[in-house]
Parts: sequence; structure tokens; C-alpha cells
Amino acid sequence: MKRSIGAASGAFLLALSLFPSAAFPVLYIDINAPGGKRMPIAVADVAVGSGDPSLSRGIPTILSDDLALTDLFDLIPPTAHLETVTAAHFSGKPLSFPGWKLIGAEAVVIGTVTARGDRLSVEMRLYDATQGTLLVGKRYTGTPTQLRSIVHKFANEIVYTFTGVRGVFGTEIAFSARSGKSKGKELYIVGMDGQDLRKVTDNRSFNLFPRWSPDGQWLAYTSYRTGAPNVYLRNVSTGTEKEVVRFGGSKAPGGFSPDGVWLYAGVSQAGNSDIYRVRVVGGAAEKVAEGWGLEVSPSPSPDGRRIAFVSDRGGSPQIYVKTVGVAGETRISTGTGYATSPSWSPAGDRIAYTARSGGRFVVATVAPDGTGLREVASAADGDCEDPSFSPDGRSLVYTYRKKGYSALKIIASDGRRQRTLVSGLGDAGSPAWSPGR
Amino acid sequence: MKGTFSWKWAVLVLSVAAMVGLGCAKKQTVKSEGAPGAGGPGEVSAPAPGPVGEAPAKEAPVAPAPPAPAPAPAPAPPAAAAPGIAVTEERLSQFDDVRFDFDKSEVREDGRKTCQVVADYLRKNPKAKLQIEGHCDERGTAEYNLALGERRAAAVMTYLVSLGASKANLSTVSFGKEKPLDPGHDEGAWAKNRRAHFVLK
Repeated sequence: MKRSIGAASGAFLLALSLFPSAAFPVLYIDINAPGGKRMPIAVADVAVGSGDPSLSRGIPTILSDDLALTDLFDLIPPTAHLETVTAAHFSGKPLSFPGWKLIGAEAVVIGTVTARGDRLSVEMRLYDATQGTLLVGKRYTGTPTQLRSIVHKFANEIVYTFTGVRGVFGTEIAFSARSGKSKGKELYIVGMDGQDLRKVTDNRSFNLFPRWSPDGQWLAYTSYRTGAPNVYLRNVSTGTEKEVVRFGGSKAPGGFSPDGVWLYAGVSQAGNSDIYRVRVVGGAAEKVAEGWGLEVSPSPSPDGRRIAFVSDRGGSPQIYVKTVGVAGETRISTGTGYATSPSWSPAGDRIAYTARSGGRFVVATVAPDGTGLREVASAADGDCEDPSFSPDGRSLVYTYRKKGYSALKIIASDGRRQRTLVSGLGDAGSPAWSPGR
Repeated sequence: MKGTFSWKWAVLVLSVAAMVGLGCAKKQTVKSEGAPGAGGPGEVSAPAPGPVGEAPAKEAPVAPAPPAPAPAPAPAPPAAAAPGIAVTEERLSQFDDVRFDFDKSEVREDGRKTCQVVADYLRKNPKAKLQIEGHCDERGTAEYNLALGERRAAAVMTYLVSLGASKANLSTVSFGKEKPLDPGHDEGAWAKNRRAHFVLK
């Protein structure tokens, strides 16, 4: 374990890295070191002041499940813990750090919860067990239904403390899938931990291509509820909607500009699809990319200056990158196969897309200049498609399909670990990861 | 050695200054961070009971938690569902479908014969309104297939117009890969699903 630095900002980081002594005993995880040593951490049972006693294990279970998803931590099992956390630990009584070190913990999380009526008060603390110092402490208030959200927030604090990068717990994935036996498709949202699955639309038509606004408050999507594929903006909290992109035939939103001012979309007119961007407020439209072929699936870069999109002008669908407002486009996918659904990484350094390889669809990533192609997700018996990056860029969500079966899966962007997010819904597809929370 | 020491000292001072400047959470009094902005990020979604209050906690005993944040606005009623037409259902047609090759939108020889039948009907029924649906097989990305379906429908419309049909009586809509005629997952099913389908309005 590299035990040197860990800080909240570049300036702070720089200053401390010049002075790597025990005077600043902050644990640090290098997230860029593949297969690096993981942080041994103990998540103690929570002291319950008043309220449901099952919270004592319930809160650490949620937190431990979050931390386990990151592959950055080794969780020390509760059966090994020697000390019981009580309310006294929050009013001056020190933890017995030698005991935590004895069972191998380098970090310890403790918490206390009080529930009164409809109000929940949770205090969580993260300690460096090797030095006996408090690394971060937070107090949260909310309702019992917000418990998961509260614990996710502290899990994000822990990841941030050790890596300098905000965690993605509490973020969500929007997607479309068939609803029960209906032939239609509705939009759904699910937590990145696979919990809290819920249906967003319910109009028994085709509801497709959900795209999050940068503030995470709105979804742009295509709906056939009037019989034709139109694009709507839906407020995720309130359900209010308005139609956008009021021209053309088939239309599919691709993504928002980072400032939330523009919505990029593929719009067909007389059978020819081009890339437009439309002002979210006001609706004024500009053509961004056009050609003889089909131009679809625009994905704006994180700085908003460029877009990646699909064009079949060369005879098959391929990925192109262009600077908005500047003539000229660069093809970045290679081969003569089939490359679609680009998704720009939050750091701007990679573009994920669906490629065709050996008769199967696979998820690949490439640098925006077309170099450094890497296959990230593939399956011997099915197709992997429609990637979307997590807000920290460390993971991708994608669709896995095999004949009639479909699932959404999450894979580390280096392709090392993979898990199933959602299965059991028909034709699940077009997943989109929400912005950071 | 002495010089190095004083240099390190300067770094330490800088670090402390950075900590103070950044408002490092550790040893500060409790203050609310999460209260303002109902509908802000990180909350549970509708019907939202209000944002989670969040405050830095310090090691010594602290004052009671900040007051509860303002309640979230009541959720608006969801947008009305579409009435009537089940767009998800296959609509019957007296005409055959026009079929296409994979990732192609050229009207083949067999499709041209079908189009001739359609064009003859339209000539005899000049008031008939015909919608041409474009469809694709399940392979590939849904968005690309949506545009491909539109191009197939447009290709058929262009061909019908070349046969004398009035463009004013024709319209197109693409269903991409969303409405397969055959739910199978082999070339036999795919060939049936790559089609233009005619619906008299």
C-alpha cells in the first residue's frame, strides 16, 4: 500500500507530495495501478440510539456492498471484529485502534443512527486505523426511505478520501425494456447497485433511447405514443414532459452538451438522417453533421467542442469524430464491419462503441484520434452492445443479448471485472448512466 | 540540511494554508450542506420526501443536527398516456411486404413487383392514403436501425412516386427493430423482418 498522500485538490496534493512523511498519515489507493493492493477496511456494526435495531447491521451491509463493487477494498468480515461500537464513541471515547490493526484493518468505519418518527439521523466516520486519526466524518438527516441514499453518500466520501475521485454510488442507469408481456417498451431506471428498479414511462408504445441531462434532472427520449417517433424531455422527479426536436421523421436523442443548452439528435428527413443540435429552451435547431449516408447517434465530448457519431457514408456504419462548427470529420473505427453507438468517456480520453468482431457484436474503446483500440466486453455466445460510461469513467454499462435473452451488465473499463445489473426484462437496451450524484 | 529543513517548513505552512483555504471537513463546526435546492442531485427520486441533510461531523460532541430541510414540492401528475392506437400491434395489410437485404435499403426485384401492385391500387383509388412503415431485423444498434428503417420506407416511397403515385397521399414512419413480424432469432426471421409494410389509413 502506498501510504503517502490523499487530498481534496490538486494544490493540496502537490504540496503534500513534496513532503511524504508520517506527519501526514493519509492512506491512499492508486486507482490507476491495475491489480494493485486493496485497502483492508472494517465496517463496524452501527450503534442504534433509537429506532429499528436491524439498522445496526443493515447500514454496514449497504456500505460494504458498495465498497465491494469498487474492487478497491478488502472487507474484513464482521465476525472478526473485536470491538463493539457504541454511542460513547461519538462523544469522546476513542476506538481501540490496536484491536482493529490486529485483525488487519488499515481503515475503520463506524456509525450511529437515531430514528425518531419520520426523521433519521445518521453519523458516519472513517478512521485511519494505523494512525488512529479521523479521515472524514459526516452527519446526515433524512427520512427512513432515504437510508440507502445516505449510505451511498458516505460510501462516495470513503472512495473520494482514498482515491481523490468521487465514487458513483447512488448514480442510476436509465434504459428501455419490454414491460411484462406487452409488445411495447417502457423506460426504466435502476440504481448502479441493481436496486430500486422502477418504471418511468407507462404509455404502452415504444419508449426508447433515454439520455440524461448534465444535471441528472431530465431524460430526453424517443416515444411513439402519438404513433410517430418524437423526442420528449421528461423531468425524472415530477414526470412533467415537453416535446423537443419539432421537425423531421424518425428522431433519436444522442446526448446533451455539457452545459445543458443543446440536445444533439439524429433526425431523418426524406429517408436521410443527419445530426442536429436543438436548443433545449427555445427549440432553435442547427445542422451539425450531414452526408449522403445515415448520420446517427451523436455523443458530445465532455468539453462540448466535439462529437462522435455514426455514419454509413463509407458503405457500412462507422464512428467519426468532428469538431462542432468546423468542416471535416475523422473516421476513428477501423475495419469494414459495423461500428455504432459511440459514448464519450467523462475524462474525454476514450470513446466506447459497439463493434463487429467474428460475427458477434462486442464493446470496444478507442482514443478520440482512433489509436489504442481495445476490446472491453465480448461473449462467445451472444452480443455486447450499447456502452455507456460511469461518471467516474471506471466502468461501462452495456447490453448483453443472446437470442431472446437480454441483460444489462457492468464491466470495468479495462475489461477486468463484470457483473449483471438487470436481467429478466425483455429486450433491455440503450442503457445510459446518470451523471454523478 | 538546514536549507532543506526550512524549505520543508515552508511546504508545511503552505499545506496548512491549503487546508484552511479548502475548508477541510475535519475540525469544523456543523453546518448544513445538503439543505438547499430541492430536486438537487443525490436524492432519492419521486415522490421525493426532500433532500438528505448532510453536514461534516467532528470528533468531539457536537450540537444537535441542523433542522430538517424544506419539503420537496409535490410531484406533478404524470403526463397522460396515449389514447387509442396501439402502435405496438402489427396492422393488417392487403399488400405484401417489400423485403430488404441486411443493412440495405435498395428495393429488390421482388419488391418492385409488389410496389407495382401498390401503385396500380393507388392509381385506381386516388383518394387512398398510404403509410409506409420501415422495419429492420434485431441485429445492430436500435438508433441506427431507426434511421435505416426510415431510409427503407423512403426508398419505397420514392419508387412508388416513380411509378406514378402521388406523393401527397404517401407518408412514412420507421419502427427500426422494435416491431418484428417474426419473433425468431435466425436468418429466416430476420429476412421477414427487414421490410417495408403498407398500411392504408
